[in-house]
Amino acid sequence: MRSSIDEFEEKEKPDGYYERTLKELSDMNQKFHIFSRMPQSMEHGFQFSVKDNICVDGVESSASAEILEGYVPPFDATAVERMRGRGFSFIGKTKMDEFGFGTFGINCAEHPLNPINPEYVTGGSSAGAAAATAVMKYHVAIAESTGGSISCPAAFCGVVGFTPTYGLVSRYGLIDYANSLDKIGIMARRSADIRHVFDVIKGSDRYDTTCIDREVNADKRTKLIIVDQLMQNIDQAVLSAFDRFTSKLESRGYEVVHRSIPFIEKAIPAYYIISTAEASTNLAKYTGFKYGKKTEDFSQGYNEFFTEARSSLGTEAKRRVILGTFVRSASVKSKYYEKALRLRRMLIEAMGNVLSEGFIISPTMPIMPPKVEEAAGLDPVKAYSMDSITVPPNLAGFPHISFPYDYSGDFPMGAQLITSHFNDYALMDFAGAWEEDFEYRFKYNVGSL
Amino acid sequence: MKIGLEVHVALPTKSKLFCSCSPIAEEPNTAVCPICLGMPGAKPMLNAEALKISVAIARALHCDIIDNAYFIRKVYFYPDLPKSYQITQLDGAVGRGGYVRVGGKKVRIRRVQLEEDPAKVVREDEYSLLDFNRSGVPLNEIVTEPDIGSEEELRGFVSELRSILYYVGVDIDREMKIDLNISLDGERVEIKNVTGIKNLIDAERYECKRQGEIIAAGGKVKTETRSYSAEAMSTVSSREKESDEEYGFIYDPDLVMYPANTIRTDETPIASEIAERYSAQYGTNAETVKELVMFDRNALRLLRHGAGNGKIGTAINAISMLRRTDAMDIDEKNFDRMLEYMGRGMLLSDDAIKALKAGNDVEMSAGAVSAEEIDKAIMEVVESRKDLVAEYSTNHKAFNFIVGLILKKYKVSPRYVSERLSKVLETKLK
Amino acid sequence: MDDAAFDRMLRICRLRLSGSERDRIKADIDKVITYFDTIESVDCDGYSPAYQPVEMPARTREDRTDVFRESDRLLKNSKTYRFYMVGPKI
Repeated sequence: MRSSIDEFEEKEKPDGYYERTLKELSDMNQKFHIFSRMPQSMEHGFQFSVKDNICVDGVESSASAEILEGYVPPFDATAVERMRGRGFSFIGKTKMDEFGFGTFGINCAEHPLNPINPEYVTGGSSAGAAAATAVMKYHVAIAESTGGSISCPAAFCGVVGFTPTYGLVSRYGLIDYANSLDKIGIMARRSADIRHVFDVIKGSDRYDTTCIDREVNADKRTKLIIVDQLMQNIDQAVLSAFDRFTSKLESRGYEVVHRSIPFIEKAIPAYYIISTAEASTNLAKYTGFKYGKKTEDFSQGYNEFFTEARSSLGTEAKRRVILGTFVRSASVKSKYYEKALRLRRMLIEAMGNVLSEGFIISPTMPIMPPKVEEAAGLDPVKAYSMDSITVPPNLAGFPHISFPYDYSGDFPMGAQLITSHFNDYALMDFAGAWEEDFEYRFKYNVGSL
Repeated sequence: MKIGLEVHVALPTKSKLFCSCSPIAEEPNTAVCPICLGMPGAKPMLNAEALKISVAIARALHCDIIDNAYFIRKVYFYPDLPKSYQITQLDGAVGRGGYVRVGGKKVRIRRVQLEEDPAKVVREDEYSLLDFNRSGVPLNEIVTEPDIGSEEELRGFVSELRSILYYVGVDIDREMKIDLNISLDGERVEIKNVTGIKNLIDAERYECKRQGEIIAAGGKVKTETRSYSAEAMSTVSSREKESDEEYGFIYDPDLVMYPANTIRTDETPIASEIAERYSAQYGTNAETVKELVMFDRNALRLLRHGAGNGKIGTAINAISMLRRTDAMDIDEKNFDRMLEYMGRGMLLSDDAIKALKAGNDVEMSAGAVSAEEIDKAIMEVVESRKDLVAEYSTNHKAFNFIVGLILKKYKVSPRYVSERLSKVLETKLK
Repeated sequence: MDDAAFDRMLRICRLRLSGSERDRIKADIDKVITYFDTIESVDCDGYSPAYQPVEMPARTREDRTDVFRESDRLLKNSKTYRFYMVGPKI
């Protein structure tokens, strides 16, 4: 299928098109709280939105965190700079869980609501990015995933969400959550759009040491692997739909096999140990005077001043800062932080072996999108366990894509496909082939032509 | 007494450790960027030259160089620390297990590591003022074992270390920041942030006396962190900072592993070791040679050249003369000519040395003259001006007048002429 | 984590929690740490720590100076006095 970018370029834009589109989008934003910032007028061109934790020069970029309110970076993130350089038009900053801390997109002020039904969550943490993609016809979202923050909302909002191999897209300009896990990725309505944008934003950057310049492969796999341990604790409705999906794929010539990675469920605690340890160091810089929300009384001692400033961190942020500080304390570091890093190495090897045989396929999320109150009522361990399928590829840096494979009522069901490091194109090829005879459904088409 | 030091020196790079800002600037906050300001979204990128210099220093201190150097985050809260963590090394340090020879003893070096300097903070009554120009300046922290046993050894160590750093290219006129660990009875007291050598010695003396008095009174020294006040010339107990437990060091995942031991560096001369070697080999005075070469790379260059030509004794004299005339940058070819003149017993005036350095010929007119010729000239004056000689014992001016006459003809050292004249006159008048 | 240990954590993080928030977060954290403890059962012997998920080449920067193009905007996020940034009292 052609990309919407090519399609958009060829189509005639009627008079007042951009004004009308911006108006419609503002109405959507009123309803679903998608953007934290939108421009006054719309630049002419194909639109891209940017997750609020990615810096846009001159535009408030607060990672939807109260403590960072008012931070206006004087530089563009590399991904943003490259998008602008290729003629894409910036449409706004999309809301997210504070600093990326959340699975449902509800950990921020006026959190986004699912455009399919606003009683339900969008999924997180790239919540606004998924919602924007779900409502806008000609648009791509620059999003970010640390432990599943692209796959989850993409699945809940019925869009395609791609998370590249760790290191292929520069993190320069990304407000860090967990540096060894953070990956800038893309959400769109078509795989072809993702491929187009991926080619724009990937590649070596002199401002990010961990950004790798290397060839990306498109090695087709004919085997689809179901890792049994990833299929535990999945809702029955999701399981049955997924079974129908894999049967359909079998009929198209894919071989579906089962494999076992017994310790893969331990990826979740290992992920939360590493991510909170890194996050607790990243969030130490927010002390109320350099940027973001200001603490007024300079004359109190600096410790008091910092403590006062840091009270505006959200509950989940405080939880993660405390947890992260604990797991890296000298006396327990080898038990938690270092052990988790070893477990990561073991997971990279085990998943790598399986992935050399074929794609790992699964539902993206173990549940259908919950209602906002249901999600808010979950205790942290339960909430963290919702990431059971999205965390493993994120922890091990494997590229993955989530795309709609079925619908249950109005709600989409997302499948997640994982492949080996640097085989990113194969994911887009797979999803692209799927899209040839499975049409994604969108309730809104703001800006259609 | 056991003393251990943690010495911090700024490395001679054009740009900062993790960004392209200049490490030196006049007005506050004019050499800053998102990276050294610690702005959300910015990332560090290691300066290759800083790593290389660090390796050179570690090698000069006889350290083992790590296969893969890496960086960690040391988290603590203070207004001068932009990210609230300092990027430093510890277990990922460039070098470990080295030593510095001080006299006959080895002071062991535990670790040489690369780290970023915090910002400069100015204390005001109601707030603080921050200048981030210094933030991100590349530092080397050199940590010794507690092997220094006396003030003399402390001075010796600092001098040796400064000489080595000088030869690596560090600007040793910039003040070093030193943490001093000192224990008399096994309890370790750490004195933080001593600036400069004078303060280091004063702090050591004060602390030695303080701990000595406690012990003499039958007390026990408390393990603690103290800070030194240069105005009061004393140390005071300082509020506890974070402990290792609290720093919660983690690997800095914005950076990677850097194969340090494959980095090529020029060998750093250890001036004092060279002086000792020459002393053993040629019988030169080790102290004289040290004096010349510890902090002067031209002197070392010329001395090595002279020694290579088997003229080390003359070279030592020549280097002293060159230093006096500010002509140390003479090239080897002209230095050889200088040694040749001196070998022939010629005396060289300052002008003659300058002419030599410029590659010009320096025969008599410019002031290169043999000692016999001066003696001959003196004799001539003494013979022809008997009037002056007669006045000599009563009128000192007569003596100076004769010297003047000689100097009019030969541009040589007045001191030399005076000496020769005295000798001649004394013999004559006897 | 006992109360003293929890309070020490708060102090290290420069966080202060009100009574009810403190109890809730402390209970959550105890639960999560118990969850974290479950990785103990995995035998990771022989595996070195993976600091990054993929191998990283040792990229460095050439020692060159460069001036940030819009330096006048750099301190716009903070309070300044003359050329200085204003911070809390030390």
